[in-house]
Amino acid sequence: MSFECNNMRTESPKSKIVVRNLNFYYGQTHALKNISMEIPEYRVTAFIGPSGCGKSTLLRTFNKIYKIYPNQRATGEILLDGVDILQNVSDLNRLRARVGMVFQQPTPFPMSIYDNIAFGVRLYESLKNIEMDERVEWALHKAALWDEVKDILHRSGNSLSGGQQQRLCIARAIAVRPEVLLLDEPASALDPISTARIENLMTELKKDYTIVIVTHNMQQAARVSDFTAYMYLGELIEFAGTELIFTRPQRRETEDYITGKFG
Amino acid sequence: MADGTEVLTEGSQGMTRQIAEVHPNVHFVADLLFENLTRFFALLVLMLLAGIMVSLLIGSLPAIKKFGLGFLSSPRWNPVTEEFGGLVPILGTISTSAIALLIAVPVSFGIALFLTEMCPVWLRRPLGTAIELLAGIPSIIYGMWGLFVFAPLFRDYAEPWVNSHIGVLPLIGFLFRGPPMGIGVLTAGLILSIMVIPFIASVMRDVFEVVPPLLKESAFGLGATTWEVVRNIVLPYTKIGVVGGIMLGLGRALGETMAVTFVIGNAHDLHASLLMPGNSIASTLANEFTEAVGDLYTSSLIELGLLLFFITFVVLALAKLLLIRLSRLEGAQS
Amino acid sequence: MVSLPTRRRLINLASQIGSVLTVCFGLFWLGWILLTLLKHGIPGLNLSIFTQMTPPPGSRGGLLNAIAGSFILVMVSTVIGTPIGILAGTYLAEYGGTGWLSPTTRFMNDILLSAPSIVIGLFVYEVYVVHSRHFSALAGSFALGLLVIPIVVRTTENMLKLVPNRLREAAAALGAPQWRIIARITLRASRAGIITGILLAVARISGETAPLLFTALNNQFWSSNINRPMANLPVTISEYAMSPYKDWHDLAWAGALLITLGVLGLNILARTFFRQSRAGN
Repeated sequence: MSFECNNMRTESPKSKIVVRNLNFYYGQTHALKNISMEIPEYRVTAFIGPSGCGKSTLLRTFNKIYKIYPNQRATGEILLDGVDILQNVSDLNRLRARVGMVFQQPTPFPMSIYDNIAFGVRLYESLKNIEMDERVEWALHKAALWDEVKDILHRSGNSLSGGQQQRLCIARAIAVRPEVLLLDEPASALDPISTARIENLMTELKKDYTIVIVTHNMQQAARVSDFTAYMYLGELIEFAGTELIFTRPQRRETEDYITGKFG
Repeated sequence: MADGTEVLTEGSQGMTRQIAEVHPNVHFVADLLFENLTRFFALLVLMLLAGIMVSLLIGSLPAIKKFGLGFLSSPRWNPVTEEFGGLVPILGTISTSAIALLIAVPVSFGIALFLTEMCPVWLRRPLGTAIELLAGIPSIIYGMWGLFVFAPLFRDYAEPWVNSHIGVLPLIGFLFRGPPMGIGVLTAGLILSIMVIPFIASVMRDVFEVVPPLLKESAFGLGATTWEVVRNIVLPYTKIGVVGGIMLGLGRALGETMAVTFVIGNAHDLHASLLMPGNSIASTLANEFTEAVGDLYTSSLIELGLLLFFITFVVLALAKLLLIRLSRLEGAQS
Repeated sequence: MVSLPTRRRLINLASQIGSVLTVCFGLFWLGWILLTLLKHGIPGLNLSIFTQMTPPPGSRGGLLNAIAGSFILVMVSTVIGTPIGILAGTYLAEYGGTGWLSPTTRFMNDILLSAPSIVIGLFVYEVYVVHSRHFSALAGSFALGLLVIPIVVRTTENMLKLVPNRLREAAAALGAPQWRIIARITLRASRAGIITGILLAVARISGETAPLLFTALNNQFWSSNINRPMANLPVTISEYAMSPYKDWHDLAWAGALLITLGVLGLNILARTFFRQSRAGN
C-alpha cells in the first residue's frame, strides 16, 4: 500500500518499519487481516479507528510484546531496518531495547524515580554512577519531567501524579535510547493539561525517534501525527499523510469514521 | 570491545548509541536457571508430603507386621506385654471430633449468618476481625482453661445433671452415664468445639460472601425475608462450600493435640460412656511417645500417627475438592 | 390459624434471634477463656519472668530460657521455611501455566497447611532426630519450618497474582528477561503482602506445642546450642500445667498469657501493616 505525503518535507522519509501481509491471531480469533504498511522514520504515525479495530494489536507486534502470551501468534513479515523481526527468535530482549513502548495506564515500577529510569539502562549497559546520573537527568529532561522531580528522585514512582507517572514511563522508555517509540493511547488516562504536555513532547521527540501512536482521539491524531492509518475490524483501510486523511480521505469508511458517522 | 559490548555509532543527527550486546544465551540460561530453581522448590513441597507418608509407613512396619488389620479393632494397650491396638485412640479421635462438630457447626453457621446478613455495617469489620484473631489463639490456652476452669465446674455442676437427666434416657442414655470426674471424652469434645468455632465460622463467612449480591438483591426485591433469602438462595448456592468448610473444620479437629490432651484423661480403656476418660490419637502420641521403650511400642505409636495422617489427608482432600468446585461454580456464573 | 405473612415474619424473627444467640454463645465462651487467661496470667507477670530461668518444682523462678529458646526456634524456622515458601509460591504464580505440577502442588500445599502438627513432629523425629541421635532445637526448627512453608507459599502465590499484568509488560517492553521481571519487579511489587504472610506464619508457629514435643523437647536450663534440646515456652507451659505444683501453674499461666499476647500482637501487626501498605499505594 503506497502512501502519499503532502507535507512540507522535501524528501519522502525512508521506512523504519515495513509490514508485509501481517496476520495476527488470538487463539482462533483472526484479529489482524493481511496488513501491509510502512512506518516512516523520524515521523509520528498515528493508528486510529473504533474500539476493537486492531490498532493496539498491530502496535504490539512491533516489539513482539504479545510473545508473553502463549496463545497469540503472528504470521507475515515485519522488517525493522530491513531485518524481519518475526523470524528472528533469539534476541527478543534486544529488540525490545530498540523498540520502546509506553502503555495506556502509567506503570511506575515499585522503586524510586531514579531507579525506575535506571532499571532499563542497567539491563544492557554498565554505567558508572556519574554516567547513570547523567543518563537519568537526560531522560527526564527529554520527557519534560526533570524540573518537577529533580529534588525527589529518591521518592517512589508511585508518589507522582498520573500525568507525571506517564511522563516517567516515557522517560524510562527513552533512557535506553531506543530507535522507535510505541505509544499505546498514552494520554487516555490523563487530564487535558497533562495530555497537552505529552502531545508537545511527541513533537519534540520525533526529531530523534520514530514514533507510532495509537489513539482513539481523532483530534489528537490530527494535532500530533504526520501520517495516519485508519483501521477497521482488523484491516488497514487507509494510510496517508495526516492532513490528507482528514481533509480528503480516499475511502468511504475513512470518511464515515472521521466525520463521526460511527465510532 | 573485549568484554562483549559493542559501540554502535549511528551518524544520523549525531547521536551515539551504545547498546550492550549481551549474548542472548546469557539471558536464556539465567531464565532457565531461575525457572528451574522455583520449580525445584515447588517439587520439594510435594516431596515433603510424600516423604511424610513414606516415613510414617516405614516407621509403622514392625507394628503392621505384628498386628495387621487387627490393630484397628483391638482395644488392648499394654506396653509390658507389648500388645497394642488402636481402637481406643481411634474411637477417641472420632468421637471428640464428632462432638466438636455437632456443636460447632450450628454455632458457626449462626455466626456466619449474622456476619453476612444481619450485622450492622459498623460492627461487621471489628467482629469479623475478632473472629479471625480468636481463630489464632494457640490451642494450649484452650487446654489449660479446660483443665483448670472448665473441668472442675463441669464435674461439680454439669455432670451430675447429665448423669441423672440424660443418662437415664433410653437408647442414648448409656453414652452419658459415669462418675463425675470433669475430664473425659465429652469434656474434650466440648473444649474442641469451642476451639473450632472461630475457624469454621470464618470459613463459612468466606463461603457465604461468594454469593453475588445481585442475586440476593433480586430476592429481597421480591419481598423475601432475610431467612428466606438465606434458605432459598444463599444455602443452595453455597452448599458445596459449606460442606467443604465443615470438612476443613473436621480436618482441624481430628489433628488437634493440646486442647484435647489436657482434658481427655489419657486412659486406654474402652468405655461406652462419653463421661469416662479416654484417648485420642494425638493425645496418645503427645503423652507417650517420648517415653516409649521398645521398637514395637514406638512403632505402634507411629502407626497411630500414620492412621491420623491418612484420615486427615482424606478429609482435607475432599474438603479442598468441594471448595474448588464452589469457586468454579462462582466463576462460571459471575 | 396464623396468616402466611405473619408466619414468615415469625420464622425470620426466630432465625435472627437464633443467629444472635449463637454469636453470644461463641463470644461468651471465648470471652470467658480470655478473661481466665488474664485473671490467672497477670498476677504471674512480673519482671522475674524475664530475668530468671525456669525453676525446679517448689521454688520461684522465671521463664527467661523458655522465652529465649522460643525466640530462637521461631527465628530459625522462619529462616528455613520462608525462602522455600517464596520460591515455591513464585513458581505457582509465574510459571504455573499448563502441566500437572502447579495444580498438584497447590492442592497438596493446602493439605499440608491444615495437617495435624503432631504428625509433622513425628515425621521430623523419624527422619532427623533418629539419625542425629538426639533431640535438638534444629529438629524443632525443621518441624516448625514445615508449618511455615505452606502459609508462605499460599500468601506469596496470591500476592504475586494480584500484581497487574501491565507492570510485567512494561518491564518486558524494556527488554528485561523473565527472571529479572519476576525478581526485580513482580516480587518487589508484592513485597508488603509477602511480608504479611511471613508475619502470619510466625504468629502461627509461635503458639505451636505439638511439633516440638518430639523434636526440640524442652530444657530446664539455659540452652543456646541448636543441636541439643532447647527450652521453649509452649512445652514448658504444658509441662508445668500438667504438674501438681502451684508455683509451676502460676508460671504456666503467665507464659500462656505471654504467648497469647505475642500471637495476637503479631496478627494485628500483620493486618495493620498490610492495610497501611495498601493505603500507601
